[in-house]
This record gives sequence, structure tokens and C-alpha cells, in this order.
Amino acid sequence: MIQMFHVTKAFPGDPPALADVNLTVEKGEFVFLTGPSGAGKTTLLRLVFCAEPATRGQILVGGRNVARIRQGSIPFLRRNIGVVFQDFKLLPHRTVLDNVALSLDVLGVPRDESRHRANRMLKLVGLSHKTESLPLKLSGGEQQRVVIARALVNEPALLLADEPTGNLDPGLTQEIMSLLSDANVRGTTVIVATHDLVMVERSGKRVVRLEKGRIVSDAGGPTMVRRVG
Amino acid sequence: MGAVAKAQTFWRSAMEGIRHQPFVHAVSTITLAIALFTLGLARTAAHELDRLVGSLGGEVRVTVYLDPRATPEARAAVAATLRSGSMVVDEVTPRAALDRLVRELGPAAESLRGLSDDPLPPSLEVRVPERMRSPESLRALAVELRAMPAVTGVDYGEQAVERLSAIARAVRWAGWVAFVVLVGATLIIVSATLQLAIYARREEVEIQKLVGATDRFVQAPFLLEGALQGLAGAAVAIAGLIAFRQTLAPQLGELLSFLRLPGVTADPRPWMEALELAVAGAALGLSGSYLAVHRFLRA
Repeated sequence: MIQMFHVTKAFPGDPPALADVNLTVEKGEFVFLTGPSGAGKTTLLRLVFCAEPATRGQILVGGRNVARIRQGSIPFLRRNIGVVFQDFKLLPHRTVLDNVALSLDVLGVPRDESRHRANRMLKLVGLSHKTESLPLKLSGGEQQRVVIARALVNEPALLLADEPTGNLDPGLTQEIMSLLSDANVRGTTVIVATHDLVMVERSGKRVVRLEKGRIVSDAGGPTMVRRVG
Repeated sequence: MGAVAKAQTFWRSAMEGIRHQPFVHAVSTITLAIALFTLGLARTAAHELDRLVGSLGGEVRVTVYLDPRATPEARAAVAATLRSGSMVVDEVTPRAALDRLVRELGPAAESLRGLSDDPLPPSLEVRVPERMRSPESLRALAVELRAMPAVTGVDYGEQAVERLSAIARAVRWAGWVAFVVLVGATLIIVSATLQLAIYARREEVEIQKLVGATDRFVQAPFLLEGALQGLAGAAVAIAGLIAFRQTLAPQLGELLSFLRLPGVTADPRPWMEALELAVAGAALGLSGSYLAVHRFLRA
């Protein structure tokens, strides 16, 4: 699903956010990206959904080389990628239902169908009673679930989640992880950036650890120990 | 399925944008309304100016002086040539010309006493149709007539015609320059105002793009808002023009009556004028919003 070859991302005046990263994520995998703050987790995710261009190296997503992708093709790539943002990125003046349906509106799905699918997804994340609420009226955990519902409503091939359980209590963390695991069971490739080591250790899934922009370990999952890039 | 659903989404998004920022949209609409009202007034002024130039042109008469020694057949041939070109021809005999001169001179006509009975040549006074009142046409007609053996001279007030034509040309150019300046200024104001509206919704645009919206998807509601503002501005401008023509125009006509203008007339096709203003408004609104959203997306 994702292949990164010698990827470097540097911002002017700073040490590289990512340095010579090699990483392969197979279709249907569930991968945790861990590491301290500033390790490059968010940058790696942003490169995958073309929010930033790589300074050097090649990145293949679903077989497409995003380093050479035309600006006009980026939206079509993003339609196959669900993203759970650390800061939620919900539209404050739109209802929960409208926020979730936004991913379908962009695709031109008829309103009735998009609202039906958004309702079904909100039911799946346990928010069917909040469809007409505005995001700012919800708790942090509820907003996080809305974001997950929006990311999954168009059944993307790949789900990227950036600190999806940050600032949540253990009960809610478990709930969110269950939602992501369920999506993975349904066939979606999932990459979760987190520094919640307890949750990572408990999951028994593949863990890629980043430090200072480099992959320092890659272990767990179906094949226990992987190459360190 | 996509196109209709997207059109509905754009419409809802545009309505929501207008609802959330009524002040910004009102400023744009008023700017467009003022520009369209000014264009409408300028259009009326241009229409009246054309009529004024046309009516002055009606005063242009061509006098063809004939050779007194020419045969009546040769003189008749000149008149026939002119009449075949849809011109109205009055034949003036030497006696009639002298009578007219005596009338015009009044007491000073005493000085003509010593002259012979027919001191003036016979002539033809020609009223040319509207299509031939340009300096070029009149010049060509004079050349053609002067080449005829029975004609000794042609007078068509060359200088007056040239001057009138130059004035009309200058006014038209000034009108175009004013039109370009007005449209340019309106576009700048409308696009700057709409950019405020887009900037206020930058978060929404960013999120739309992150979930896979194309630039066209992002642009469409803003373009729709621009077009709607243009149409609303046109409606206000049309109402203003109707009110102006019914209340102020007659008073203005009375005030300027010393100019002996032909008088402000009602547009013979008011619906066409309304349609033109609506199309101009929508085009201005669309262009202004296109400039604004294009600049925002490229920033």
C-alpha cells in the first residue's frame, strides 16, 4: 500500500524532519508509528497524503508515485485516504452529520445517500444521537469519533490517524482503538501515529519507532522483526 | 449522479456563505449596483448623444450649384442622379435664390439694386439620408457631383460636418475609457471584498481540500455567490434607473431645455436593457469572485 524509498524531508533552517526513511506498509496492515515529539511522525503522515512534498526520495501510495504527482491529481489520491487529524479539523458551523457527509459531498454523492451513509457511520461510532449537534458542543472524545466517522465514511483504502487518542481518558482510548481496529478488519490499511506506549504494547501490532527523523526500530505484526531504515 | 448532487451542494454552500457574512456580501452587491447604475446612466447618455448627433446631422444640407448655360436636360440629369440615391432634392431657380437673399438681408438688400436680374446661379438643395451623413460619404458625394459637366460647385458645410464627427468620435472614446475604468475599479473592489469572505472561510476550504475536494469544487460556491451578488446588484440598479427616469430625468430635461436637446426618450426595449444589465452584473460578479478565489487558492 505504501512504499517509501530514501525519503528525506527538510525545512529551511532546521535539522531534517525525516532523514533517509525506507518503509513498506502492506495492504490491510495495522501499523503504529511511535516516537517522542518532533520525531517526524506527523511529517511522515503528511507526506503520504501530499500535504507536504518530500525533499528527496520516492513515495508510492497505492502504486502511485506521490513525488511526481500533478497538483490536480492530489484530490483524487486523497479520496482514497481517510485522515484523522490531531486538531480534529471539523467545520464549526456545520452539524455533525454535515461534517461526516463532507467526504461524500466532495465525491458528488446525492444528498439523501450521503446523509444515509453518514448516519450509519455515526451509529457505528456511537454518535447517532448527536447528528444535529454542532462540533463545539461535543466533548473531545465525541469530536474525535466524528473525525473518525468522517475519515471512514467513504470506505478509504488507507486510514492515517495522527494522535487519535491524545488527551483522552483510557476508556475512550480503548473505544477509539476499537473503531480503528474494526476498520482494519473490514480491509482498510491503518497507520496510527501515537506516543501512547501502553496502548501500543497492548495491541500486539507492528510498531515503527522514529527518533530524530530516522526509523530506529520496526517490529511486531505478522512478521516479527523488520528492516530498520 | 455527481453533477446534480454537486450543483445542490454548491447552491447550499453559497447560500450558507451569504447567510454567514451578510455585511461583506452587501458591500459587494452595493458596489456592483452602483457600477451597473452608472453604466445604465452612461448607456442612456450615449443613446441620447447619438440622437443629438443624428438630429444635428439632419441640418446638414448639400447645395449643388449648376451652370446657368447647361441645358435643362443636363440639369435634370443631376437632379435625377441625386433622387436615385434616396435624396430629397429641391430645385432653386436664380429668381428664388435672389428673393431669399433679399429676405435674409432685409434693409441691407438695397445694395443689390445695381445687379442684373439673375445674378445668382440655379442650384439644387439636397437633404441627404441618415446613412450618408458621415464626412466620408459626403466627401464622396461632392467628388461625384463635381465631376458632372452641369455642376459648377458643391457646398456641404465641410468644416461643420468634420467638427461634429470629431466631437462624436471623442465622446465615444471617452465613453469607452470611462467604461474600462469603471469595470476595472468594480472588479478590484468586488474581488477584494470577496477575498475577505473567502479568507473568513479559509478553514472550511482547507478541510474540503484535505478530504479530496478539487479546486473547482472549492471555487464553485464562491463563483455562484459572485454571480448572485451581480444579479442582485443588477436588480437594484434597474430599480434605481426606473426611479431616475420617472422622477429626476424630466426635471433635468427642463433644466437643460436651453440646449434644445431632442429630449430624453424611453428605451424602446426596456426588457433588453434589464437583460443586458443582469448579464453584465452576473459577469462582473463572476469575474470578481473568480479573481478572488483564484488568488486565494494560488497563495
